[in-house]
Amino acid sequence: MTKPTSRWRALAALLRPDATRWGWVGALVAMSSGLALAGPLVVRAIVDQAKAGATTNQLLRLAGLFLAIAVGAQVLTVAFTWFATVTAWHTTNEIRMRLAGHVLGLDHEFHRKHTPGELIQRVDGDVTSVSDFLGQVVPRVVGAAAMVVGMVGVLAVVDWRLAVGAAVYVVLSALLIVKGRHRAVGEASDEMGAYAKLYGGIEERLTAAEDLRANGAGAHAMWRFVGESAGALNSAVRRESAFLRLWWAVQGSVAVGASVSLVSGAVLVNSGAISLGTAFLMFQYVLLLERPLEDVVHQLETVQKANGAMVRVIDLLAIEPAITDHGTVSPVAGPLSVEFRAVSFRYDIQTNGNQENGKADDEQVLRDIKLTIAPGRSVGVVGRTGSGKTTLSRLVLRLIEATDGAVCLGGVPIGDIPVAELRRRVAMIPQEVELFSGSVRDNVTLFDPAPTDEQVATALRLAGLDTLVTGGIHRDLGAGGTGLSAGEAQLLALARVWVRNPDLVVLDEATSRTDPETEARLEAAVAELIQGRTTLIIAHRLSTLRHVDEIVVLDHGRVVEHGNRDDLVADHTSRFHHLLDLALES
Amino acid sequence: MKREPGVWRLGWRVANHRAPLFWGSWLLFVMFFTFPVLNGWLLGRGFHALETGHQSQVYWYAAGALVSDALRMACIHAGALSFTRVWVHMQTFLRANMMTAQLASGGPEAGQPVGSAGEAITHFRDDVQDATQFIDGLIDISAGLVFTLLAAFVLGSIDLSAASILLVPLAGVALATRALDTRIKRYRTADRAAASKVSGFLGDVMAAATTIKVNDASGTTLSHLRALVDSRRHTAVRDRVLDEGVQAFAQGAADVGLGFVLLVTAGGLANGTFDVGKLAVFVAYLGWLSFLPRMVGRVLARRKQAGVAFDRMRGLVAERDVRNTVRARELPIGRREDRPRLGAIRPERTQLETLEVRGLTAQYSTGGGVRDVSFSLQRGSFTVLTGPIGSGKSTLLRALLGLTINAELAGDVLWNGSVIADRAAFLVPPNAAYLSQVPQLISDSVGENVALGAAAPESIEIALTLAAVRSDIDEMPHGLDTLIGPRGLRLSGGQRQRVATARALVHAPELVVLDDLSSALDVETELQLWHNLADAGMTVLAVSHRAVAFDRADQVLRLDAGRLGSAYAAT
Repeated sequence: MTKPTSRWRALAALLRPDATRWGWVGALVAMSSGLALAGPLVVRAIVDQAKAGATTNQLLRLAGLFLAIAVGAQVLTVAFTWFATVTAWHTTNEIRMRLAGHVLGLDHEFHRKHTPGELIQRVDGDVTSVSDFLGQVVPRVVGAAAMVVGMVGVLAVVDWRLAVGAAVYVVLSALLIVKGRHRAVGEASDEMGAYAKLYGGIEERLTAAEDLRANGAGAHAMWRFVGESAGALNSAVRRESAFLRLWWAVQGSVAVGASVSLVSGAVLVNSGAISLGTAFLMFQYVLLLERPLEDVVHQLETVQKANGAMVRVIDLLAIEPAITDHGTVSPVAGPLSVEFRAVSFRYDIQTNGNQENGKADDEQVLRDIKLTIAPGRSVGVVGRTGSGKTTLSRLVLRLIEATDGAVCLGGVPIGDIPVAELRRRVAMIPQEVELFSGSVRDNVTLFDPAPTDEQVATALRLAGLDTLVTGGIHRDLGAGGTGLSAGEAQLLALARVWVRNPDLVVLDEATSRTDPETEARLEAAVAELIQGRTTLIIAHRLSTLRHVDEIVVLDHGRVVEHGNRDDLVADHTSRFHHLLDLALES
Repeated sequence: MKREPGVWRLGWRVANHRAPLFWGSWLLFVMFFTFPVLNGWLLGRGFHALETGHQSQVYWYAAGALVSDALRMACIHAGALSFTRVWVHMQTFLRANMMTAQLASGGPEAGQPVGSAGEAITHFRDDVQDATQFIDGLIDISAGLVFTLLAAFVLGSIDLSAASILLVPLAGVALATRALDTRIKRYRTADRAAASKVSGFLGDVMAAATTIKVNDASGTTLSHLRALVDSRRHTAVRDRVLDEGVQAFAQGAADVGLGFVLLVTAGGLANGTFDVGKLAVFVAYLGWLSFLPRMVGRVLARRKQAGVAFDRMRGLVAERDVRNTVRARELPIGRREDRPRLGAIRPERTQLETLEVRGLTAQYSTGGGVRDVSFSLQRGSFTVLTGPIGSGKSTLLRALLGLTINAELAGDVLWNGSVIADRAAFLVPPNAAYLSQVPQLISDSVGENVALGAAAPESIEIALTLAAVRSDIDEMPHGLDTLIGPRGLRLSGGQRQRVATARALVHAPELVVLDDLSSALDVETELQLWHNLADAGMTVLAVSHRAVAFDRADQVLRLDAGRLGSAYAAT
């Protein structure tokens, strides 16, 4: 967790771009506080002049003035509410965008450990809390502060002793509140954590709903949900206790203030130091303070939520991706060679925290891989599940970095290549294709407006998705990709690659969900795709490897066979030959 | 026809989910709100004593005011703590009703499944919030009403005309907020829709983070997100400003009210019949008096918001009947409450002899689906379903099992010759089990994911062996207790698929339905799996495209464009 001081600095940095707007909000708030202070001064005049024997008409004029001030304050309040809300959303939308960009830039490993539901809560939910805080609470707090300062000023003009008394009173109450606030922040952060867990769990179960329904596991999932709700309840009660200490501080100050103003008023009026009207003014000012303080207390939940949220936002921003972009070397244009120089990989237990005990995290996934693939060659990678094929592909994409050894593309160590160039030149068709609620076109181009509709249509046709073109590429695919089968989704991912025209393509089990019928079409598409690029194909269906030049067989993280496909097929003792036999496809 | 219950009735049901706790905290809130009547009166007497020069009386009244404030605080302390508990209980109650409907395997409680989980989360978060905030507001209103009546009595007895003139601004507040009601609802709906879009898209983006990364598409994706958040800013500002504006207006009404009082009492002030003590009571009460119309305004807005919320939540529950969002249920979430592990409610095992599918049709409005599919299979047989992608294989399996979303259904499934009335309820373990094309696991241990509740350790072992994943699990240092991470992402794709297969097999189902298992399995493993299932004598209906499967099948069904081609028995 970041230190409180640096946290405030980080908050200030987030607000700085909108500094002018916030300045205007402050000005409006100050004006509205000024009007609020003027009202009681009029009442003071009424009380004192009534005592001095003023006529009803004179008092009526003063009463009219009071009414005009009250109406004016009303108008100002609405104006600054509007302006503050606009500004708050403006600022927090920027934060939201920055967070989303930041999270997208984080390592593959980070996303492997956080559910999308949790990340939605952190990028959107937390920022909305901050937004409510900035739009509703900050103007009120600033208003209360402006009012206090103004009040001390007014009292100083009336009688310096009152000003000193009021200042001491305000400082003491403020200290009390600030002290309570620090305690409450921690609890609020815990509560946010409990809720993030609750919502993350709900999201995950809804995603898995069909599986759970089909397996009659609803009651079990509900039991887990009840457990997580109990966690939320427990943390909410603890947060409320901390919050109540604050409540006592605020309310206690006002109650003491009202009684003290009455008593000191009695003493001072009796000694002739102040008028009855001034005593009444003090009373009114204490009550005037009560309203914004009550408001602040009412809004404390927002404050605490926002505080917890702010901590989480800033902590999230403080997470640095381990994979950095400092490369400056461009490999030569054209198809890229791939070279594994004694590469080993194991998932780092240290960075995973103490809960991580899955096999994938403390097993050596790849051991001493030495492999050279010439530019333009297509290579099929085969091996049992868990043999390290997917890890191999992630290394080529620099989603993870080798624990030992180096991966080189076009002779350049992968870390020395600028990331933007790497992404431009290396494409991947992942195991599970993610779709967006949006049009067919958006799903192919990933919202890039640059490719023409014609290019998109061509890519879809090349991938064998003519039906989507005839349906119109601006048609919606629907949330979660409803309307596409898993196989069709895979073909769509192929179209994504076609649009980008990369130099190295990694197909991670990309053709595994297609059926024999589409396969012929797809095989032709893949045969076309591998022309003029280096291709790594990771597949279980050995038939899709008919067109590749070379075969690599992985077993328990080691390369156990590597050779030209034709040679391996001809060699009856090769592992690949054995696999083909098994698949009844030789 | 029974009338649909309104927001009031629904709120009542939610409030009474934990009745004693709810009404206890309500009573404490009412007491909290009545103390200011006493407090203001004491302060007024204090100023009267001050004006008339009875100094020692001033001290007594000041002390009395302090004591009454201390009592007020004690009430709110106890009240707020118990209300926090009520608050979470009420929210859990609504969430539990939606969750149950979403996860029920058929039966009267099953609701219409939602499409995107990212979007659905707004129902569990924002809609639940809106519905419970309405109830929260009602507590404030009822307490404010008690205060207002008492205060009106005190003020009326001090100066009737000054007290009556206060009705003008306060009624104005209530009328103005009432007039803005429809607008509040409209803005709220638009804002919710925009918020849903943002979080739905964010969910898609976060789930696809790696795809976006390798395609270097962060920039373009973010500019799409920017368009969404910008349009949401407009709806949010409208919504919040109206909400806050209504409140600010009500608050300011107190000062306007004081202005009226001063106008009415100017004569009294001039001739000394309306003294500072009386004015002090008015001033002390006015801040609190504006609370009721302010809350009325707010609660009216919240009533609308709660109406919108219930309207959205009903989409998740059985028959879209809003009553099902407030079905009574036991939810032991308190700290001292027992949480007995809920066993799965399973149908009784009915031994399968023959399964017959008769004229099964499932058509989507967007086109696609399956039409008029008929076939049958025998106990202990192995049926392979094949066909081009998009030919409706998954749709057929899901329609058979009663899992289809938003499709027009026709046809029957017969179990041993009799029609299954509620397929979703009947075709779950131990009768049938299903493995979807992209099986979803949950962040828990391997053992929990396989058992999903109660299962004997031996059955888990057997299922793991059958699914050919046992050696993988045995190699893990924590075995069955290994945590698999969110969505099981710490396992490899093949391991996820096989753990999910074990999950389907753990209750030794009469019928095993497997959707494209081969996608994440290598040939050797797939072959081993078919061996295992055959050796265990299981009845299997599976999608596959592999020769190893055709080779072993008793029957191969070919689906083409939603229709069944020639079904033939394998040699």
